[in-house]
Amino acid sequence: MTVPLSDIATAVLATTFQLSPFYLFAGMGEIVSEKSGVANMGLEGIMLMSLVLTFIVDYATGNPWIALLAAMAVAGAIGLVFAFFALRVRMDQIALGLAIYLFGLGFSFIVFNTAYPSGLFPNYVALPPIYSGWGTVPYFGTIFLQLDVMAYVSIALVVLTAIFLNRTSLGLRVRAVGENPKAADNMGVNVNKVRLFAILFGAVMFGVAGSYFAGNFVPGFQTNIIAGRGFIVLAMIYFANWKPYRALFAALSFNLVYALQNEYISIAGSTVASVSTLFNMLPYVFLLALIPVFGRKARAPKFLLKPYRKG
Amino acid sequence: MHENTQGLRWLKATAYNVLAVGLGILAGLVVVAYAGGNVEVALSSLFLDPLSSSGGIQQIFILFVMFYSMGLGIGLALKAGLWNIGAQGQLLAGMVMVFVVYLYLAFLPWPVLYVAMILGAALGGLLWIAIPTILRVKFGANEIVVTILLNVVAVNFGFYMLAGPIKSPGTALGFPITTVLPARFQIPNIIGNVPITYAVPATIAIGVILYFLVERTPFRVKADTVGESPETARYAGISIPRVMTITMLTAGALAGLAGATYMMGYRYELDIGSFSTNYGLVAIIVALVGRKHMLGIGISAFFFAYIAYGAEAMALAVNVPTYVVFAMEGVMMIGILMSAYFERRGAI
Repeated sequence: MTVPLSDIATAVLATTFQLSPFYLFAGMGEIVSEKSGVANMGLEGIMLMSLVLTFIVDYATGNPWIALLAAMAVAGAIGLVFAFFALRVRMDQIALGLAIYLFGLGFSFIVFNTAYPSGLFPNYVALPPIYSGWGTVPYFGTIFLQLDVMAYVSIALVVLTAIFLNRTSLGLRVRAVGENPKAADNMGVNVNKVRLFAILFGAVMFGVAGSYFAGNFVPGFQTNIIAGRGFIVLAMIYFANWKPYRALFAALSFNLVYALQNEYISIAGSTVASVSTLFNMLPYVFLLALIPVFGRKARAPKFLLKPYRKG
Repeated sequence: MHENTQGLRWLKATAYNVLAVGLGILAGLVVVAYAGGNVEVALSSLFLDPLSSSGGIQQIFILFVMFYSMGLGIGLALKAGLWNIGAQGQLLAGMVMVFVVYLYLAFLPWPVLYVAMILGAALGGLLWIAIPTILRVKFGANEIVVTILLNVVAVNFGFYMLAGPIKSPGTALGFPITTVLPARFQIPNIIGNVPITYAVPATIAIGVILYFLVERTPFRVKADTVGESPETARYAGISIPRVMTITMLTAGALAGLAGATYMMGYRYELDIGSFSTNYGLVAIIVALVGRKHMLGIGISAFFFAYIAYGAEAMALAVNVPTYVVFAMEGVMMIGILMSAYFERRGAI
């Protein structure tokens, strides 16, 4: 039985567009945070915590919007903790990020296990497709109209982040405190206040990403369910040279490669079962292969990872 | 600074670190209580279980060896200003290589093959870190990003190897697991039934050798200069790529060795369970708590080995998921970083 090429292409594109928003929310959050000079490597831990809260609140209320708000709230709270240690205590950001990751990895599972000790949980109520009659529209419906509204919000977020960083005065201050905090300070910018804003924005976006993960990747929680996808965001924005539109390109192309190998494995079936894990490596190898091409020109914000002390 | 005041500062810093660990344990107990476990039972099993069974002693020492070996490499790279977040991937590469050598070089006579398995594991870790090293030295690519990426790739690559090239032919339903290493390919105990293997003194010896090579020679100054001020290093005529390459490759080989001790000294077979550990990340904490000092890392490794096993025993005793260990380690790490802050402020 052969599958028509148009069906394969539709399935590949549908997967690409469904998965990319997760990386876009997280990517825009990390770009703004890093532009201000603060790298948040705890993003996967924050995502795991907000993912767990999304499930629990969604199961309890049946309302994915309330679940999204809860996810954003818990992510913001962890962001506040991160900001305190990174800005006030001036902790090493990488070590702090890993600590937050380990904490989130462990605690998220405890929270879920305490809420549902039996391992049985209700059905997840996902956000509806943007057009309920998507099935009646050939190709286009499957690829674009099946997406939930947050997928479209993620594209808007890319545009807004680019405008914010390049065209607004707060965006200029975010970049200034990441490039030269001393000069910014001399010009009357409150360095740590701007960084606090950037960290919180980033954390809340990780929360949105975690929540999106619940609706579009898995319907139930497992340990370590995000499995490094959060960390991949760090690589994506590095290749994107901290530019929002390039991050969009990185996310789409990464997921296109993922969708292609995924579709190939499902069509080829048992004939490639023994090497399917090699195909699973492809998206990551693709990102690695981009390094000599794009990584050479990548230039991090000058004061990334460096805490600021007045005077 | 006088010897005395330095000793005093060290004592105070240690006191704060102990306090930080206490904070982590407290957080763990709060989590236990939240999850509905008995706090008293938890506390006693956290501290006493590791000592009361020979299985406990065995696990503590194997964890110590792994944490120390990986921590040494991470600390060494950190001295040169490089973050090796990829010890986990290098560890997996080492584990896989033990079986690649065992199966594909099986024609070698016993003692040669035995040594080749250990060296193969070191080579596996070295090759795995060679990728970020080359990308960093030749293309200036950020090593944090690349080592993180390679951790994910290592897991997938390990799955592939387990599903085919190093899979045991005898398993039912194609279950992905290797053959069990026969006794003569296992690392033996030093004394009869006491489950402490020769890997322990061997790793300590590596730590001491590195201490003399790194802390007591001009190499330390070189590495520190590259780490803290590449500009100065360039003026001083220090070859930055050379220092980076040496420290990174050593770090990879050490993490690969940790994989050999895990397989040949404890598990004896490789399955998917070994891929989902997080030892490589905990080793970063170990290196930081040991203040990048080649001997300090040993003390910190032993301590984290004890806590990691104790916390797992605690979780099992009170029927709380063992994932509580990660939450505790996270809090401990923040606490320990806090103590460095107080020290800097002169509060202690």
